[in-house]
Amino acid sequence: MTTVTATLTPAPSAALPPPASPRGRGLAERLSPYAYIAPFFVLFGVFGLFPLLFTFYVALFDWNPIGDQVFIGTDNFTRMFADPRFWNAAGNTVSIWALSTVPQLLLALVLAHVLNHARLRFALFFRMSVLVPYITSVAATAVVFAQLFDRDYGLLNWLLGLVGIEPVDFVQSTWGSHVLIATMVTWRWFGYTTLLYLASLQSVPRSVFEAAAIDGAGPWQRFRHITVPSLRPVIIFTVVTSTIGGLQIFTEPLLTGSGLTCGAVRQCQTLTLFLYEQGFGQFEFGYGSAIGVALFVMVVAIAAINFVLSTRIKADR
Amino acid sequence: MKLRLPLLSAAAVLALLTACTPGTGGGGEGDGKSFEFWSFSAINQKLTVDAYQAKHPDVQIKLTEVGTSTETAQSLTTALAGGKVPDLVLIQGDNLPQFVDQPQNFVDLRTLGADDIKGDYLDWVWKQSVAKDGEVLGVPTDVGGMAVAYRTDLFAAAGLPTDREAVSALWPTWDAFIETGKRYKQTTGKAFTDNAATSVFYQAVNQVSEKYYSADRKLVYSTNPQVKAAFDLGIKAATSGITAGQSSFESAWSAGMGQGAYAAVSAPSWMLNSIRSTAPDTKGKWDIAKIPGAAGNWGGSYLAIPKAAKNPQAAWNYIKEMQSPEGQLEHFTRVGALPSTPSVYQDAKLTDGKDPFFSDAPTGKIYTDSLLGLKPFYIGPDSAAIGQEFLDAITNVEQAGGDPATAWDDAVRNIKTAIGE
Repeated sequence: MTTVTATLTPAPSAALPPPASPRGRGLAERLSPYAYIAPFFVLFGVFGLFPLLFTFYVALFDWNPIGDQVFIGTDNFTRMFADPRFWNAAGNTVSIWALSTVPQLLLALVLAHVLNHARLRFALFFRMSVLVPYITSVAATAVVFAQLFDRDYGLLNWLLGLVGIEPVDFVQSTWGSHVLIATMVTWRWFGYTTLLYLASLQSVPRSVFEAAAIDGAGPWQRFRHITVPSLRPVIIFTVVTSTIGGLQIFTEPLLTGSGLTCGAVRQCQTLTLFLYEQGFGQFEFGYGSAIGVALFVMVVAIAAINFVLSTRIKADR
Repeated sequence: MKLRLPLLSAAAVLALLTACTPGTGGGGEGDGKSFEFWSFSAINQKLTVDAYQAKHPDVQIKLTEVGTSTETAQSLTTALAGGKVPDLVLIQGDNLPQFVDQPQNFVDLRTLGADDIKGDYLDWVWKQSVAKDGEVLGVPTDVGGMAVAYRTDLFAAAGLPTDREAVSALWPTWDAFIETGKRYKQTTGKAFTDNAATSVFYQAVNQVSEKYYSADRKLVYSTNPQVKAAFDLGIKAATSGITAGQSSFESAWSAGMGQGAYAAVSAPSWMLNSIRSTAPDTKGKWDIAKIPGAAGNWGGSYLAIPKAAKNPQAAWNYIKEMQSPEGQLEHFTRVGALPSTPSVYQDAKLTDGKDPFFSDAPTGKIYTDSLLGLKPFYIGPDSAAIGQEFLDAITNVEQAGGDPATAWDDAVRNIKTAIGE
């Protein structure tokens, strides 16, 4: 028994050296805090910082993985800014992001409001079920949606045909492919966003809603004047995170179109897909890295906007 | 812990740095018997490996089927950059030029005796794996040859002949092929062929005497009238309404093949295997006719040995035995890949071979005939990228309503961007 207590309680002070000034401590003791936090920094250095810096470095080269590496300075960036494929990919990325984020956040807002309702039956069941799309594999989602939206054999075009609408080629047309990919993204993320909003709404005292109802506020007025304002910080947060996520859309377009170009005229090629095509399809490591650097700059810029906005909102309160 | 982690990370950084230095390693330190072999999936390479192991029980072969031919070439590039390579690798003809351009990554097969067997192979096929200073990087395993696979039942329903001689006579030229397609479309209302890009343009452009590069290896894709003519044929087919607009190997293409959404597919010899596995229920409903136009080739593969291979000699022994004329003939009887060794083209095993899936068509004879009189052209490091942009331009007209009048200019402009010209 005594041994157990000994390990659970601090040893009597006699066993320790007398408390001394920091100067008197041993080297090991002074370094040990750094050792405890070292694993994070080491892992971050190896898997985060080093690849990042190495990407910046490679972007300055005409880098053939099985041939020569020639230093070309900023030529890759000059080429990128003049490359219509880069601007096309950037445009597609923004278009798909807008098509997926706006409906997704609106849907989540309404769902969160409904799920927060006091008299909702089976509330837990509904709250959990909105997460189901989120835990489904992206690849499975893409395969199923591509079949639903298929031009000749898809369910959606069959339904359109019933009401006399010509079949739409969702993969080969520009707007069609964007709608298809945005639908997948929305479907996958709306549950996640709903739960974020719901969690935030739960912190609003129920009495506020009840008081408003007694005062004669209808559902729409409660939604506009209580739900939306109380969610403002978390809405900003989700807009920013979904923007960063939107810049990185990769799997859905890859599995939708034909290969890395996502269609004959790159109609759904996003920036990450363009990066991957150049880096690992064409093995132009230098050019691929330059696109990576451009993406990095965009993400950092959006994160900075997030920081500014969220501090301003805090200050407003 | 405190000391080891920085050490480990330093080691990891070093490993990453060396991983980015190509051409490391000398090779040759293995036991001379066992070797590692990377191939594509779905071409039944395992049958040949098993046959070799049955004859040489002391040899251990580790066969990895990496993926499609493109994925295999991509993995090989990564492996060469990283230094951990297989001893033997199969490279598809379209992917070969980028490796021939960097010969320092491979064993020059002349050092193992390639000059002694050179005469066994089709000269123009052999030449494609010869690098700028004469290094021989690969031994050809098979060639494509070209033909058209068609559905006899659908042809009969459309009032077209079904006999393969009579069908071949329908289309001596690509224009006649498109006219036949229009006739088919008129009677049945259905698409005649799968798509214009691969079934028309890609075949026609492989029947030229000079393709995207001139014989002295200069880029001529935008000025070569033969390429323009093939492209125009592709556009003509795309706008004539005879295609189903289904890009090859995609899911709708596969579904369409099973359901008879199109009646004819251009089929290099290796495509026969795809048809068999894509639409197994259509067995016996297919036959094979001659390709419109002249002789030509699409496809074929090469076996190469990376410089850093541990057992180059064991890999070479395999190449020498299995890619000999007899070895290739045996491979043909097993999986139907057309030999690259002309001495067996008259062999009864090849000429008498009949394929029940394709109404007992004599595939060996049809495909070797399609190679006769072929005019070889130089394939360069950017050939694959150029071909892809042309394909995409035609697909855009065919499937996404692109303007046929500007398609050629768009394609040329996209190629210039793609290859950084």
